[in-house]
Parts: sequence; structure tokens; C-alpha cells
Amino acid sequence: MSSSGEEEEVGPSVDSNDPEERIAARRLRIQRRHELARRAAMGEDPSAKKAVKEEISKSRIQIEQSRQRLTKLLQDGTELVTNIRVAGDMREGARRIEEEEARRQRKDKLEAENKGGTERFEEISKKWESALQKEIPQDLHEMLKQQQQRCNAMIDEKNKLISEFQQELKGKDEQYVKDLKKQAEEIDLMIERMEEQIKNLTKAYREELNQIEKAFVTERTELLELQRKKWDHMMQQRRDKELEYMKAREKRVEDYEQQLQHLRVQDAEEYNSVKIKLETDVQLLEQQIQLMRATFQLNQEKLEYNFQVLKKRDEENTITKSQQKRKITRLQDVMNTLRIKLAKQEKQFRDENSQLTEDYKRITEQFMELQKKSRHFITTDNKKFTDIWIMNEAEAKELVEKVCEQDRTVTEHQLGLRWDQPDLEFMDNVGPILSEQTKRQQVSATQVVQEVMSQTGGVSDQPVADPVDRPYRPEPGEEEEGSEYHHGSMLKDPATKSEQGETVKSTITQKFSAHTIKKILELLCDESGFLVENKLVKLLAPLEQDEQSLMKLDAIFAALGVETEDDIYRLSNFFTKFRQATERAQSGQGSRKQSVEEVERQDGEPEKEGEEGTQTDEMAEDAEVAEELQKVMEDGEEVVTPRSVKSEVTELIHPNDVYKALRVFVEEQWQPTKEKSKQPQFKIANTEDRDDADDAAYWKKYCSILPEKTERMWDALLDGLEMYSDCLQSRAKLITETDGLRQQNAELRMLLHQYVNSKVNAELEIPPTRVLNLEFQQA
Amino acid sequence: MDPPLTENKENVENGGGEDKKSEKDAKSPAGSRAGSAKSQRSQKSNGSQKGRIPSPIRSAKDNPAADMRNMRRIIAEDPEWSLATVPMLWELCIKHIVGNFEYNSKILDKLLPKHKTKVLEKISTDLPLKVTSNLVEDEGYWKRCCKARWAICDVSAYGNNWKRMYFERNLQDIIEHFVPENTDPEELDSTLPLSANFVKKLDIRQLLPPVKEAPKGFDDDVSDAGSEAGDGPETDHFDFGPVLQKLPLLEEFRVTYGVRDCGMNFDWNLFQFTARDCLLLSKCIAACKTLKVLCLHRSKVDDDRVRVLISHILDHPSLEELDLSHNIIGDRGARAVGKFINNHSQLKILNLCDNQIRAAGAQAIAHALTKNTTLHSLNLRLNRLGDEGGQAVCRSLMKNSTLKEINLSTNDMTEPTAAVLAQVVIQNTTIKSLDLSCNKLGADGGKQLQEGMEENNTITHMDLRFTQCGQESEFIINQILAKSQDRERESKEKNMNEVNSKK
Repeated sequence: MSSSGEEEEVGPSVDSNDPEERIAARRLRIQRRHELARRAAMGEDPSAKKAVKEEISKSRIQIEQSRQRLTKLLQDGTELVTNIRVAGDMREGARRIEEEEARRQRKDKLEAENKGGTERFEEISKKWESALQKEIPQDLHEMLKQQQQRCNAMIDEKNKLISEFQQELKGKDEQYVKDLKKQAEEIDLMIERMEEQIKNLTKAYREELNQIEKAFVTERTELLELQRKKWDHMMQQRRDKELEYMKAREKRVEDYEQQLQHLRVQDAEEYNSVKIKLETDVQLLEQQIQLMRATFQLNQEKLEYNFQVLKKRDEENTITKSQQKRKITRLQDVMNTLRIKLAKQEKQFRDENSQLTEDYKRITEQFMELQKKSRHFITTDNKKFTDIWIMNEAEAKELVEKVCEQDRTVTEHQLGLRWDQPDLEFMDNVGPILSEQTKRQQVSATQVVQEVMSQTGGVSDQPVADPVDRPYRPEPGEEEEGSEYHHGSMLKDPATKSEQGETVKSTITQKFSAHTIKKILELLCDESGFLVENKLVKLLAPLEQDEQSLMKLDAIFAALGVETEDDIYRLSNFFTKFRQATERAQSGQGSRKQSVEEVERQDGEPEKEGEEGTQTDEMAEDAEVAEELQKVMEDGEEVVTPRSVKSEVTELIHPNDVYKALRVFVEEQWQPTKEKSKQPQFKIANTEDRDDADDAAYWKKYCSILPEKTERMWDALLDGLEMYSDCLQSRAKLITETDGLRQQNAELRMLLHQYVNSKVNAELEIPPTRVLNLEFQQA
Repeated sequence: MDPPLTENKENVENGGGEDKKSEKDAKSPAGSRAGSAKSQRSQKSNGSQKGRIPSPIRSAKDNPAADMRNMRRIIAEDPEWSLATVPMLWELCIKHIVGNFEYNSKILDKLLPKHKTKVLEKISTDLPLKVTSNLVEDEGYWKRCCKARWAICDVSAYGNNWKRMYFERNLQDIIEHFVPENTDPEELDSTLPLSANFVKKLDIRQLLPPVKEAPKGFDDDVSDAGSEAGDGPETDHFDFGPVLQKLPLLEEFRVTYGVRDCGMNFDWNLFQFTARDCLLLSKCIAACKTLKVLCLHRSKVDDDRVRVLISHILDHPSLEELDLSHNIIGDRGARAVGKFINNHSQLKILNLCDNQIRAAGAQAIAHALTKNTTLHSLNLRLNRLGDEGGQAVCRSLMKNSTLKEINLSTNDMTEPTAAVLAQVVIQNTTIKSLDLSCNKLGADGGKQLQEGMEENNTITHMDLRFTQCGQESEFIINQILAKSQDRERESKEKNMNEVNSKK
């Protein structure tokens, strides 16, 4: 057993060279695999990896070796331990086979013995049969002895077998004991081996561990060494380089020093030369300084004196300054107080003002309301008045008519006289009696215009036949013939004009001559065309010249705010007045020119206004107007002198001044209108005091329609008639009385008849007729 | 520490002999808690004495000394000084809890964790299982229990679980010392429900027979006793039925019908596996569906018993390992086993070592092997297969592709089997371990095997001891084995690397 174990131990130890080979092969394989994997994984260059690999592998080799050795050791150890078991198995197997064989032999032996025994037993039993036949005792004895011998032999044989088996059993027992002993021994051996194995293994493991550690340490030291070497090498390189750099630096330093030296020498030389030069300069300059000093001293003294003087002055100044300052402060104080006062006053006034304005507002409002009321009452009163008047009048008239009629009937029927119609003219009147003045008062401007136009149409020198030409003429007259014609035309009515101018001032109703007014209106119509709307102009185009101008004037008046006759007169008055004023103003040429310029400027403005009004559609017209204007201007220049000569004569305004005049008029017009707006209201209020002087007379007329004589006659007539009527009445009464009695009679008769003829009478025992008859009879 | 103090203390101790025990009890916690100052400890002991034993005589005696100590109690330079001369209340409480743990164990769960550990450290290991089994989970306590009860404790065999170990071994002890019809089943009945949740493995190493005839048997001759015992079928052993029923977690069950350490009291009767025993065991195993490992060894299991057993455990849902080693199973029994592994089980490991299987049984097993797809390991060591059976088994290996380990050692096989084996080795690529030791394969067989092995690179272990197959071939085969071992190791390493790299 032990030999076999040794054999097996030797077996692996023979190939002690092999493991190294194996290791080498394995290492190669591992390397290759790792390389492949790494190349596949990272694609790195294999050469670098290889170097690393080799370095690493040292420890790995050690590990591998240790592992190898340990596995071998383990294997061997386990083999060694299990060898015992295997040997035991082997023996057991062999024993079993032996046992089987032995059993088989024993079985054979037993069977053989059994066979022999049975044969012998049969033999003996046969003998027993023959023994029974024997009758001779000796024979039987002999026979029995033989039988006994045979039986004994058989028993001996059996006993021999038994003892044999017993022997065998004993042997087995011994064998068993031996086996037990051997097994105990083997177990002991096994335990021993196991322990040894454990010991060995732990030892081996520890050793291997140490070795591996050592390998790692050596590897580490190697690695360290390598790194240190590298480090040293690098350091050396660095040192060399440093040295090199230092040398280079030194060399450079030397160079620089040399250069410095050179430069120093050069500079010293230069410095010397410059120094000499500068010194000479210094000497020169010192001399100059001396000179300058002398002059300086002189100047200083002068300046000092000046300074003293100035100082004194300054002092004086300061004194005056302080005085002034004091004054200023004082004045400032005064001013402040005044300011405060002012502020106070202002405030006060402002307050007052606001209060007053508020009062004023309130009052005006109240006033307005009052006016409204009064107006309302006035109108209502008026209306009432007229209504009552008319009613009364109507009543009176009716009464008068009635009276007249009565009178007529009385005179004609009763008296049989001829009846004269009394004077009833006053009865034509209807409504309250009005004075002529008031009737005439309000005449609108347009009416006036129409009037004027028509009047002039009739009055003027030009034939009425061609009214179309008349307004047409002055225009070319103005344009072509210039002011000559104009003046000519104007000259005709200076006297009237002057008169009228005075009369206008005294009484507004006094008029200018119709002609003049017409002129003025024409002028206005021509010059202030811009006030007329373009549309209107277009519309007017088909109409007659006269009507055209009329409409135009209408529009112009509307624009200027001229409403009443009054306004027209004022306007015309204005025209004439303005003329005088301008003439008075034109004392010199320059001023005239200025005025012309002004006019021009003013012309421009209205034109612009006109343009704005009429819009720029009619450029052609504008151009014409401009031409005209220019012409007028030229004319104006020429005309100036003649006109100034005739300044005493009242003249119509020059067309060029129309604008100016209009402007002034409009400006003034606006103020009066404001005033006027108040006046009419009061006027209306005043309309109440119409003169009622005629009223009494008027009403008296109604009373006195019948004369005293007829009245007295009527009284007498009345008395007569009354007496007559009384007589007639009594007669009438009597007539009616007789009539009544008659009727009663008839009725009674009827009743009696009814009673007599009724059926009831027949039914009675005694008819009434009979009674009647009786009565009659009795009677 | 000043010597007079110690003297004093000793004196006191000597004096108060009857109080010694209690004093020690009091001292030990105080001492453990006391920091470093020795003087303090002495004070404490004294204080505790005072607190504990209000003996009027001693207190009067100690009064001046106590006063002195009281005066000296405040020691400025001692940073760890504390007033804890009297044990803390909680210590007292814990002590009391420990003392009365048996009667009031419910309190354990209500304690603070630190107090709980303290209690568990101190409670006695002799407490009845009824109290502790479901209450105490602490491993430390069970470790103490195990250590107190058994000298050798290998916790690794019990899943590193001390509690499990305690319960399993406790149950084993009870069963092993159970004598049918003599022992009071009370103990077993009380223990079983408590252990049910913890027992996973049961390793019964002996079963005592009923003691009726035993005293007589001991007096008689050994052989006579054997003959006498042989005809006694009434010597039935312990019935596992009720026990296994109550163990729902049981996975491993090992049993030997025999007596250990019988010594000179040997009696054949002690080693009897009766038919009734077999029937009962079979039934209870069949009923136990969680079982994974069944081991019935050294129990004189013969063909009939095996047939009974197998017929019961046929198509068992969980059984993975069956160990019937060291029995007397013959060809008929082997046939039954063959039927069992022929896709009537989930068996992975089968051990039929040291039986009496011959060629016929081997053929039956071989036939089953050709169809089996679960078995990993097969042990037929120490049987009598012979060449015929060996050839049959080897041929079956050519068709099988799951078996990894096979042990055919000591089976009286010779050269013809080696020839077949050579073919198997060429064809089969799953077998890794092959034990052929103690078979006289001979030099020619060794050569054939060597030739076969040259084609193979999966077998990593082959035992050829005592096969007489020649040193040369044995050496070459060993070389090949080493190579394949290397290859296997490398592939393993590679897998490990891959796994690591993946990680």
C-alpha cells in the first residue's frame, strides 16, 4: 500500500521539468489571449502592452508556480489519504471474492458430505432391514455393532465437518479481530496522514504566500528601481540643462558688461564736452541774470509804490462798499416788507375779485332768467291785449251794427222816415291802433337793397331798359378808365353825400341818396366777391346781372353781419368816413406807401381767407384777381396825387381801400352788436308803452254812433209801444180764458155721454137713466 | 488603593458569610460598570453592601468608615467618578426580570433594545423551550444554549443558525434515546410543535429497539442472541410518521436503524430493520413532500425493503438525493432503484455504495441511466457489478448526457470494461469525474483507456489506483487530466473575468 502510494507520489514528480514547460506555454497563451482581447477592445498598440505584460508577469509567474505546487501537493496529499481507503476497498473487494469462493466451496463440501451422508444413511437403513431378518442374536449383535460402527463413522465424519467449520469460524473470528485491529491501525494512519497533510498544506500555503509576497515585493522594488532610475535620468538631464543655461547666461552677462563699459566711456566723454559747453552758457546767463536783477529791483520799487496807492484806493473802495452794502440791506428790508404787503394786497384783491365774479355770474344768471321771464310775459301780455282788443272791438262792432239795424227799422218801419246811414268808417279798423312810426321801423337790409336797386333803376340817368348793362359798366369803367370816370361819377352827388353824412349822425332814418348807396353797394358787390361762396356764384351764373348782384349782396351782408337798414347806412357812412380818414392820414408819400404796403399786406390776408373759403379750385379767377390788383396798384400810384388835391370833397372810397374799410367796419360792427344785443331786449320791454291816446277816442266813436235826438225819440217810442203791448196782452188773456171754458164744457159732455151709454147701467135694477128720468120727472 | 480599605472589605466579607453570595451578585454589575478607579470600586462594593444588607451590627460598625468614605466620595481628579454606588433601578429591574423570566416572559418584547440584550445575556439556558422557543430570536442566547449542552458545536452544518441547531439536535437526542413502549412520549409531543418552525434537517444516528428481550439477550451467547433476535418481528423501532407530519420545513432526513456504541452488548436484535419499520418509514417519507435528501444507510435494507420503499416514494415531487449506502441491496432492489431513477423522480444524487448489486441489477440501473435526464452523481462503489454489469453501465454512459460524476470503484471489472470505457471517454463530454480504482483493468485496458483519454478533454478527475493498468498509461492519463483541469480552471477564470468586466 505504502509502496503504491510512493509510486503514485513519484509519478508526478518525474515530470518536474514539465510544469515549467507548461507554465511557459500557458504564459504564452495567456499573453496572446490578453493581447487579442485588448486589441479587440481598445485597439491599442501591442508593443507597449507587451512590455507592461512582461513586467507584470513576474508576480503572476510566482502565483502560477505556487498554485501549481500547491495543487500538486494537495492532490498528492489527498491521494495519500484516500490511498488507505482505496486499499481498504481493494482488500474488501478481494475478501468478498474470496469469501464468495469459500462459501461456494463450503457449499460444495456440504453438498458432497450431504450426499455421502445420505448414501451412508441409506446404507445403514438398508442394513436395518436386513438386520431385522436376522434371527441369530450373534449375527444381530455383529450386525448391530457394524451398524454402530457405521453410524459412529458417519457421526465422526459429521463431527469432523462441524469441527472443521468451527475451526474455520474461529479462524474467521481471529481474522475479524485482526481486521478490526488493522482497521484501527489504518484509521490511525489515516488520521496521522490527514494531520500531516494539514500541517504540510498550511506550511506549504504559508511558504507559497511568503514567496508570492516576496515576488510582489521584488517586483515592486524592481519597479521602484526602474522608476527611480528614470527619475534620476530625468533629473540628470535637467541638471545638465540647467548648467547649460547657466553658462549661456554667464556669457551673456559678460557681453552685457562689456557693452556697458563701452557705453560708459562714451557717455563720459560726451558728458565732459557738454559740461564745458554748459558752463560757458551758465556764465553768460549769470551775467544776464545780474542785469535782469537790476531791472527787477527797479520795477519792484515802482510796483510797490503802485501797490501802496492801490491799497489805499482799495480801502476807500471797501468803505464805500460797506456803505453800499448797508444801504442795500436796508433797501432789501423795505423791499421785503413791500413785497409782503403786495402779496397780501394781491391776495385780498384776488379774493375780492373772485367773490365779485361769482356775484356777477350769479346776478347775470338771475338777470338772464328775469329777461326770459319778462320777454315771455311781454309777449303773452301783448297777445292777450290784442285778443281782448279784438274781442271787444268785435263786440262793439256787432252792437253798432245791431243798433244801426234797429235804428233803421225804427226809423223806416215805425216812423216811416228815411234812414240815413251814420259814418262807420272807423269800424274798418281791426286790432289795436298802431302808430305810423312803429309800423315803419323794421326794414330789413335786403329790402332796402332791393328798394335801392329798384329805385336807382328808376331814378338813375341810365335808361331802365337795359338794367343788364348798368352794373356791368362801372367795372370796366373802373378798370379801364381808372379813377377819372369814377371821380366823375362821384362828383355828381358830393353835396347830397355831405348832407346825408350829417343827417346820418343826427337821425339814422335820414338816408343817403339812393344813388350813392347803389354805388357803394355795387362797389361792395364787386370788391368783396370773395365773401360770396363759389357754389352760389355758379348757381347765379344763369341769372340776370341785377339779380346776380342782388343775391351776391345778400350773401355778403350775411357774411358781414349786416342785417338792418341801419347797418347799411352805417356801412355806407363808414365807407365815406374811412375815405376821409385815410386822406387825412396820407400826409406824406412815405406814409402813403406804407399804407399801400399795409393795404397790400391786408389784401393778402383776406385773399388768403378768401382762398381758404373758396378753396383753391378756381386758380384762374385768383390769377385774374391778382392781375387786377396789380393794375389797381399801379393806378393807385398814379392816382394818389390827384386825389390828395381833391381831398376836401367827400368822395366814395377807393376800391383798393374797400378791404381796409370792411375790416374796420367788421371790427367795429362786432362791438356794437354786443351792445346791440342788450339794447333790443330793453327795447322790447319798452314796446309796452305804446301811445294809447287814440284808444279813448276810438272807443268813444262807438258810443257816439247814435245821436241824442234819436235816443230821445227811442225813449218815447218805447213808452208808446209798451202801452200798446199791455192792451194786447189783456186781450190775449181773455181769449185764452174763453178757450179754456169751452174745452171744459166739451169734456164734461163727453163724460156724461160715457156714463149713460155704459153696459153697467143695463145691469142695474134701476138704471141711472131712469133715475135721471125720475129726477127729471120729479123735477 | 489604601490597604486598610481592602482589609476592611475582606473583613467584612469574612464576617458576613451568609451575605457573600448576594454581595457578589451585587458586585459583579457594579464592578463591570465601574470605570477605572479602584478606590471607587471598593466604595461601591461597600455602598452596595450597605444598600443591600442593612445588618444593624455591621452598619453600626461601619458607620464611621462609611462617613469617611462619604466624605471622600468626591474625588476631584477622577473624571469618571459617578454616583452609581447603588445599582441603577433598571439594573435591579432586569435582574428581577431575569430571575422570573420563566413566569413572565412576555415582558421581553416590551423592553428597550439595550435592556433586552442585557436580559438575553443573562437568562438561564435551562429555561423550558416552551418559554423561549417562540419568544427568543437572539442568536447569542441559542449559542449559549448549544455550548452549554454539547461540547462540539459545528454551526456551519446547520446553516449558521444556532437556534436551528439547538432545536434539531434537541429533537435528534430525544428520538435517538426514545425506546418504543417504554419512554414516555410526553417529552417528544411537547417538543415537536415548538421545534416545528425551526427544524430543517434530521440526522438520526441510532434508533433503540424495544427493551423487552434485550436484558435476556445480553446474557445469552452472541450467536444465540442473533438467532433469537432474527425471528422477532415485533422488535419494531420508533415510528417516524407522527414526527415527520409535524415538521413542515423538513428537507433532509438521515436515519440509521441501529445502535451506536453498543460495545460488548452487541446483539443482532439491535440492528434489525423490520418490514413494519420499512412500511411505516416509507409511508411517512411519501407523505413528507418537502423532503429533499433521504439517507437510509447501515440499516440492513434488503431487496424487499427497498422495493417497499421505492414503491412508496415513486414520483416524489422534491426528493433530490437518495443515499442507500452500506446496505444489502441485491439485484431486485437495484432493479427497483433503476425504475425509480427512470424518470420517476427528480433525483440528482444516488448513492448505492457498499451493496450487493450484481450484473443484473447493474443492467437495470444502466437501462434507467440511458433515459434519465436529472441524475448528476452516481455512486456504485463496493458492488459486484463484474464485467458484464460494468459494460452495461459504461454503454449507458454513451447515451446519457447529464451524469457528471460516477464511481465504479471496487466492482470486479476487468479489461473488457476498460475497452468500453475508452469509447465512453471519447464520446461522452459531460462526465468530469470517474473513479475506477480497485478494478483489475490490466495493462491492455490501461492502454485502451489512455488512447481514449487522449481524445477527451472534459474529464478532470479519474482514479486509477490499484487498476494494474501500467505506469506509463497512468502517467499519460494523469497528464491529460492535468491539462483538462487547467483548461477548466482557465475557462472558469475567463468566465469570472467576463462577469467582472460586465459588472
